[in-house]
Amino acid sequence: MNPIVSCTLLITLGLGTTITFASSHWFLAWMGLEINTLAILPLMAQYHHPRATEATLKYFLTQATAASTLLFATTTNAWLNGQWDIQHMTHPLPITLFTIALALKIGLAPPTIWLPEVLQGLDLITGLIMSTWQKLAPFALLLQIYPANSTLLIMLGLTSTLIGGWGGLNQTQLRKILAYSSIAHLGWMILVLQFSPALTLLTLFMYIIMTFSTFLVFHLNNATNINTLATTWAKTPALTALTPLLLLSLGGLPPLSGFMPKWLILQELAKQDLALTATLAALTALLSLYFYLRLSYALALTMFPNNPTGTPPWRLQSPQIVYPLALSITATLTLLPLTPTITALMTP
Amino acid sequence: MTYIMSLFLFGLVLGLVAVASNPSPYFAALGLVVVAGLGCGILVGHGGHFLSLILFLIYLGGMLVVFAYSAALAAEPYPESWGSRRVMAYIFVYVVGVAMVSGLFWGGWYETSWVPVDELGELSVLRGDSGGVALMYAGGGGMLVIGAWVLLLTLFVVLELTRGLSRGALRAV
Repeated sequence: MNPIVSCTLLITLGLGTTITFASSHWFLAWMGLEINTLAILPLMAQYHHPRATEATLKYFLTQATAASTLLFATTTNAWLNGQWDIQHMTHPLPITLFTIALALKIGLAPPTIWLPEVLQGLDLITGLIMSTWQKLAPFALLLQIYPANSTLLIMLGLTSTLIGGWGGLNQTQLRKILAYSSIAHLGWMILVLQFSPALTLLTLFMYIIMTFSTFLVFHLNNATNINTLATTWAKTPALTALTPLLLLSLGGLPPLSGFMPKWLILQELAKQDLALTATLAALTALLSLYFYLRLSYALALTMFPNNPTGTPPWRLQSPQIVYPLALSITATLTLLPLTPTITALMTP
Repeated sequence: MTYIMSLFLFGLVLGLVAVASNPSPYFAALGLVVVAGLGCGILVGHGGHFLSLILFLIYLGGMLVVFAYSAALAAEPYPESWGSRRVMAYIFVYVVGVAMVSGLFWGGWYETSWVPVDELGELSVLRGDSGGVALMYAGGGGMLVIGAWVLLLTLFVVLELTRGLSRGALRAV
């Protein structure tokens, strides 16, 4: 794609998120979300492949539906409340509508049918933008919806962790696995939204760092399914040694930093006397852990069957910039001891 | 005035049913024309005369006409419409759905909300949106600039999605 057009679209992506972040009026927030949706469409279809076009179309339809539901909730809120401010909502009907619309936008279960299929049709870098950047603006709005609809949020959260874990079990395509991992993490974020929005923000940031690393590792190895992962040991042995740790961090195992959000969320749920919810969330996280372990197994714990005379490829210097990947992997693996500092920073 | 407003509202909902139930883009676009026209009439009845004029000119007279021409280019010799049984089934479902939902609102506050419409016995309206339009250009100027930028962006997005003829994103499907 023409670099000027590509640059314009990326800058507009930034503009949309900035507008949503800066808005206190629901109409302006909706505008920012629409700008984001529009700007990412050509980026998704840029490789002119039928699968990419199909993914673009599905993405557009679901996001347009979510945006119209959001607009409907906005007008209902204006009618019932008399004003458009995001932080001064009182009536439960528009609040529920807003929550459902934003849940459809970010890909929580049950309205999450679109996320695996759309992510599968994209290349890894555009999938990265969709998984990380496009989640920021809706979360900025979700964090401000108060008073929240308690049952709805907990049901969305638990269903998402369950479907994210369960759905990812039968996948061999890495992008679909990352989509189901995204659904599960979003479920964890929504679960604790009404009790501690700071924890939601923490989980979102940790998820963005971890998934950024994972997408870039796969992009570096040009791997889109598990079979390709099995041959990465010959291309980048050091990275192949680190990637299982990365995946286990996504799964939430201590002593890696992915444990931090899950630990703090379970603690918060226990403090709120929601022991069953906490247990269900932890058990459904086990399902996700299984497919992360399967990926680690293919990467580093087994060797791909090859004839004895098979030679590894030349390890030439990669033209990709790997500095961001190095930073994010370091963050993904080593941030757990900073939990007290991060907790102190997050809660005002 | 009440009669005209309720007629417009009925026509709006029936037009929406036509849009949703028609598999062919011609008749769906016709339904959209009906919906847009009657919607403009309802806007006038509520005091939004300027907005209604702009909607009529730009949406109906600009965008919808362009859509109708594009649909006519992708011509279909025998379009399926309200004659076929399948479409009739859709229409029945939509009308029943509308009737059920409107039954929820029957009487009560909905009925009393029609009282102010009767006060203006002749075909006259209160101009309610002039101050709003002035405010949009004054305090909402920044939002207008962003709106204009987004429209330009939409143009670029559509150009980028449809460029390339047979090598492009749409033809390969």
